[in-house]
Amino acid sequence: MTSKDETGMKYLPEIPQKEIDEIRSSIKATSMKVTSENIERMKKSAPNRPEAMTYFDGIADFFGQREREIRAAKEEGKKVIGYMCMFAPIEFILAADAIPVRVHSGWYDTSKIGDRIVPVEVCPVIRSTIGAKMVGLSPYLELSDAIISTLTCDGMTKLCEILSDQKPVWTMCPPRVKDSPQSMNFWREELKAVKQKIEDLTGNKITEKKLRSAIELLQRATKAFRRLQDLRKDSPVIMGRDAMLVNQTSAWDDVKRWTQKTEELCDELEKRVQQKTWACPPDTPRVMVTGTPMVWPDNWKLPNLIEEADPQGILVADELCSSDRLLYDPVGVDEWTMDDMFNAVAERYLLTSTCPCFTSKDGNKDRINWLLDKLKEFRVNGVIYYVVRGCMLYAMEYTRIKRILDHRNVPIYYLDTEYTREDVGQMKTRVEAFLEMLKAGAEG
Amino acid sequence: MMGTIAQFLQATIAVGAVIAGALAIILGVKDRTKKISCLRIYAQTISLGVIFFGLFTGPFGLTQYPPIGNAPRDTLIGTTVFGAPFPDGLSVPTMACYYPSGRTMTCVLWQIQAYIFPFWSAGKGWGVNYVSSGLERLAIAFGLLIVMSVILGRFFCGWICPFGFYMDLITRVRKVLKVRHRNLSEGLNDGLRQLRYLVIAAVLLLSFIFGAEAIVGTQLVSGTEYKGFVYQYFSAPFCQVCPMRPLCVLVEGALGYMNLQYVFSQATGLFYEIGYYVTSLNVAVLILVTVGAFALRRFWCRICPLGGLIAVFNRFVPFKWASVIRLDKEEEKCTKCGICKRVCPPQVTEVYEGKGGDVTASGCILCFRCIEMCPYEDCLKINVAGKTVFGSRNWLETIK
Repeated sequence: MTSKDETGMKYLPEIPQKEIDEIRSSIKATSMKVTSENIERMKKSAPNRPEAMTYFDGIADFFGQREREIRAAKEEGKKVIGYMCMFAPIEFILAADAIPVRVHSGWYDTSKIGDRIVPVEVCPVIRSTIGAKMVGLSPYLELSDAIISTLTCDGMTKLCEILSDQKPVWTMCPPRVKDSPQSMNFWREELKAVKQKIEDLTGNKITEKKLRSAIELLQRATKAFRRLQDLRKDSPVIMGRDAMLVNQTSAWDDVKRWTQKTEELCDELEKRVQQKTWACPPDTPRVMVTGTPMVWPDNWKLPNLIEEADPQGILVADELCSSDRLLYDPVGVDEWTMDDMFNAVAERYLLTSTCPCFTSKDGNKDRINWLLDKLKEFRVNGVIYYVVRGCMLYAMEYTRIKRILDHRNVPIYYLDTEYTREDVGQMKTRVEAFLEMLKAGAEG
Repeated sequence: MMGTIAQFLQATIAVGAVIAGALAIILGVKDRTKKISCLRIYAQTISLGVIFFGLFTGPFGLTQYPPIGNAPRDTLIGTTVFGAPFPDGLSVPTMACYYPSGRTMTCVLWQIQAYIFPFWSAGKGWGVNYVSSGLERLAIAFGLLIVMSVILGRFFCGWICPFGFYMDLITRVRKVLKVRHRNLSEGLNDGLRQLRYLVIAAVLLLSFIFGAEAIVGTQLVSGTEYKGFVYQYFSAPFCQVCPMRPLCVLVEGALGYMNLQYVFSQATGLFYEIGYYVTSLNVAVLILVTVGAFALRRFWCRICPLGGLIAVFNRFVPFKWASVIRLDKEEEKCTKCGICKRVCPPQVTEVYEGKGGDVTASGCILCFRCIEMCPYEDCLKINVAGKTVFGSRNWLETIK
């Protein structure tokens, strides 16, 4: 077989190593600056920020403790498996004694480099990930031995092709309709294939015992995760950004340690509930965000804007696959046989997803139910529908979601943006106007 | 007088002990994914004890067939508590088989068949002197069936039925052996569910044909006269294929409560090769269902005509409006994760597919496993007479 190089099949161009190094070190410097800046801003707007957040601030650093840990584990022979969407069966990766890391990218600057390969109309998450790969910026992406890419949207579908220039990419194709018997059969086959690939790569067989302990490990993580979300339902004890950061770090941190640290955070927050120490005044307008994932560290501008605005808002809930949706749904096993565990994992990843890549005759009903339930549970005052330009699926679902929320008299605001820092000024005006309206609505 | 007080005290202590046991399970079992299952096993055990209570008490003066064994033939709750209108004991819509020794209640399906044929007129019967006519007894049996179906519905199947218990025990054995269970395709499962109603219709029709002499005055099939061949052996057509009868008789025979030698000596011809109390067809069905129950959870419940009868009087108009126990779903809380569908023993899909509101299905045995396993607070709820008794909980909170 001829290689991709010889046949000119590659997407990624040859860039001189010197140029790559230069770009990388400049973006890395910016990224580190942005990371610490974001954390500083989060600290500033929450003067009594929980002490337990210190740990997550450390883990949030892409070029810090966690990178060193993964590098060390890799040297000991462990495999690292990266994944793009949250459809990747983390239970299987853990059961095969590999390290799962989520590798989609939130760097603004790398999206400009991605522009060299794909047109600017493409979703910036994809462009940024391509750019990150081109310059070798993301340590987790670089350390991955293989990448599980779920072909959810068009961007993801082509992204897997582009990444396969330099990494083994395993595709998983989710059926576009979730709840038909044939879809489930297809999805099970997809999962079976990925499971086999994980076993082949790591050389570890996923046994019943190992899979059970992996499932139980993640169930405990879900327990902590949901405990944190439950704490956000009443008067604010934690700023939305802090909770979002905790949620997001679960995608690359060691699951066991993350669970323990999150439980510690929840213990601290529970004490604060008793002492009635709120993170911000309890009458702060409560905002929910839905739409495209917001990836740390750069794409933090909307959470920053909401919680630093005047009047201030608080993010109490979201419907993002980069935050509240990550570990919310547990794998529920009926009988601890391999078969039932496998089905439980398969169903959890496919059926609970509210990604707009799915459709059915009554629309993406699961997403609407999620929104309506969270509206009630978290006493949300208004919803910001966040879309990055190029994200067709989220953009197209807006009309329907707006009609449903209008029907329930919940204000919804469509905010579209790009992977850029240039529009922060005008976004600020728009967010503040919306918050002003929510505040007036709450008072009137 | 003293005897009555002693009996009353005994009954109080027994009821108290049962309630204490249930409370111990409710408070003692911390794991939310196991609490209801444990409670259900407990309820099934108690029910089994109550249904075959006659095996524990002394003779009750109703030893009709001494050759059958030393244990009392019946300790009928119906006759002792309600008197003559309940000559065969209280009708219950569970497989509380009529044939074995020591039972206290009677399967309503046997009663319906038996009262259509051949005990149509008063005074005739197997050593029981009926004071009421067949029609009166039929009315009582159906009346009780309807009342019980409306109040408890297929709760009987999940929590009381001893045959359901038998299948649950097989499932437990399978789990210990770490063998996976299989699923029927949705189409086949639905087909079996529809088949129940055909079986009910066939049973009623056969009973009518056999009982034609008493009902319309002429025999439609020869041998159906009083004490004729059909009268002797086919008084209850469904019981000749039911898997519960051989199970009860063989287990009681093995335990010494029934005289197996006598049971087997009742053999006549090919069909009754094993004996009057157990037909060869019975045994074949029992083996089939046992194997089936090993592979599929609650295999028999999908075709059980008794469950179908309850469903008719619980899930269809107009009884549907009056049914007391319902399974409610709150659509907005549902993420369609599929857990309820996967854990359901008789593979009911309505809870998963239902749009919210009342999602009780005719195939649902109200075992509440779905509520136990649903990880979303109050998404699935059990509703008794309009009041929510309990709902699904975030069971993750109780995992270690």
